[in-house]
Amino acid sequence: MAIIRTFDLTKKFGEFTAVDHLNLSIEEGEIFGLLGPNGAGKTTTLLMLTTVIKPTEGTAYVGEYDITKEPDKARRLVGMAFQEPKLMWVMTPWDVLNWHAKVCGLSSSERKQRVKWALTELGLWEDRHKSVHTFSGGMRKRVEVAKILIQRPKIAIVDEPTTQIDIVGKHRIWNMIRALRDEGSTIILATNELYEADILSDRVAIMHRGKLLVCDSPKKLKDSIVGGDLIELVLEKEAAENTVEELKKIEKVVDVLAIKPNHLRIYLNHAEEVLPQITELFMKARLPIRSIRMSEPSLDDVFAHYTGLTIEEAEKQ
Amino acid sequence: MFLHYKFVLILRALWFLAQIALFGLIVNRMVKEEVQVVTGGNYFYFYAAGIVVTLLYSMTVFIGYDIYEEADHGVTEYLLSLPVSRRELVLGRAIGGGLRSFLYVAPLMFVVLLLIGITDPFRILIALTALFLFAFGVAGMSITLAMSIKSHDRFDILLGVLNAFIVRLSTTMYPVAFMPPQYAAMAQFNPLTFAADIFRWGAGLEAVLLTSPFVSVFGIVVFFSVFTFLGIVFYEKRLEGGGWR
Repeated sequence: MAIIRTFDLTKKFGEFTAVDHLNLSIEEGEIFGLLGPNGAGKTTTLLMLTTVIKPTEGTAYVGEYDITKEPDKARRLVGMAFQEPKLMWVMTPWDVLNWHAKVCGLSSSERKQRVKWALTELGLWEDRHKSVHTFSGGMRKRVEVAKILIQRPKIAIVDEPTTQIDIVGKHRIWNMIRALRDEGSTIILATNELYEADILSDRVAIMHRGKLLVCDSPKKLKDSIVGGDLIELVLEKEAAENTVEELKKIEKVVDVLAIKPNHLRIYLNHAEEVLPQITELFMKARLPIRSIRMSEPSLDDVFAHYTGLTIEEAEKQ
Repeated sequence: MFLHYKFVLILRALWFLAQIALFGLIVNRMVKEEVQVVTGGNYFYFYAAGIVVTLLYSMTVFIGYDIYEEADHGVTEYLLSLPVSRRELVLGRAIGGGLRSFLYVAPLMFVVLLLIGITDPFRILIALTALFLFAFGVAGMSITLAMSIKSHDRFDILLGVLNAFIVRLSTTMYPVAFMPPQYAAMAQFNPLTFAADIFRWGAGLEAVLLTSPFVSVFGIVVFFSVFTFLGIVFYEKRLEGGGWR
């Protein structure tokens, strides 16, 4: 069942269209990745869904509430951890989180328990009474993420939750996001980190210049690139021409390129399913294989497939 | 958050001391007998009560600066995303801002009450409640202005000009009896006049031509209601449209 539906959701700032007729459906209980370079319109979309800004055109339903007609009710279903840490600049993490929990309506005992839990889990317990002024970017980011973990909203929006955070911290936050989903929250994860979107998301929507390019599970998106998988074979000796021709005839093999006489690069789909057929072909041809390297496309390839640009190139534009 | 403005607080307290111990005492010696009579027998008390209200006003308008600071730090987006209605948010800001400045000014208010002497605790209770509402109204007004002016510098200048008129066209420093009729007419509808006169009434000053306590309380309630309402409207219009970005 869809918990968020957008209908031609559009936001313009003067002449600039930040989000352009976005139509999305997010299922209850999923981790939904919103992927795109900086300036793609991800954050503006999220700000509209949290009713922080009003759409210029179109609307969205959060739960059963239209964000343009019943924003107060829609807002009560959503919690957001922002891209930039939003802290009351003179307070300690304990104060920031306690205040947030209070505004979200948590009882005194529940508040203390959850704040302590989140600070401990995110490795901030020892620093809970220090000024956030003294914190590194990563520590501030953890305080921001902690807000959502304490609030446990029906729809949790996390905007680039692991930027500036070290790899151990990233894994910790990813596990906590998964745990939040397992407890019943729907997660919207906005990120420009492809790996993060790939491993966390049940489905990914890719945005570019305010528009939705494509939306599906990471696997289906990667499979949608014809010949996106790659197998590189190094043979003991040169491959005969007829063997290469036979190789090309295998279903799902898109192209075969001989880099060297004994080094073949095979472009195909569903490499894991086709590999046994390929090895069998070379065994029959009495051509021993020295090494096999297999790789599948990344979400960056998916982005490049639809835009002709890598994420980095798109960000520079 | 309470001591966020401790620097301002200390300077304002010093300003208050200068106004009372220097300016107030000296001017009190300068004023004629006629003025002393109209102001309840002691111009110094009349002035001290007025200057406390001026201080309450100038401390409360500081919440407008908070709005700009929050926008600069990105806290505005956070506040707007919280699971509370816009009405609750603006009321919370206005009440929080009003309460904060009231607590800042309370010790100085107490000093003035000690100087004047409290004759009727019930009256002073009514007066303080009205001043509470007045402070919330000033906070609502400051939020409304901050919401309607995008530039921090312009807001700063506007407040300076507004302060000059709103303080001088009120009875905080001088009684309405000595104002030119046109000025007096305007001063009678000034929220600072309502606040200063209700405080004097609460403290038991028997000055001539004080605004009636009923009119003062009514005026303060209207002031509070109008600016709280405008604060909510401007918050919604300006911020939800993304106008602060």
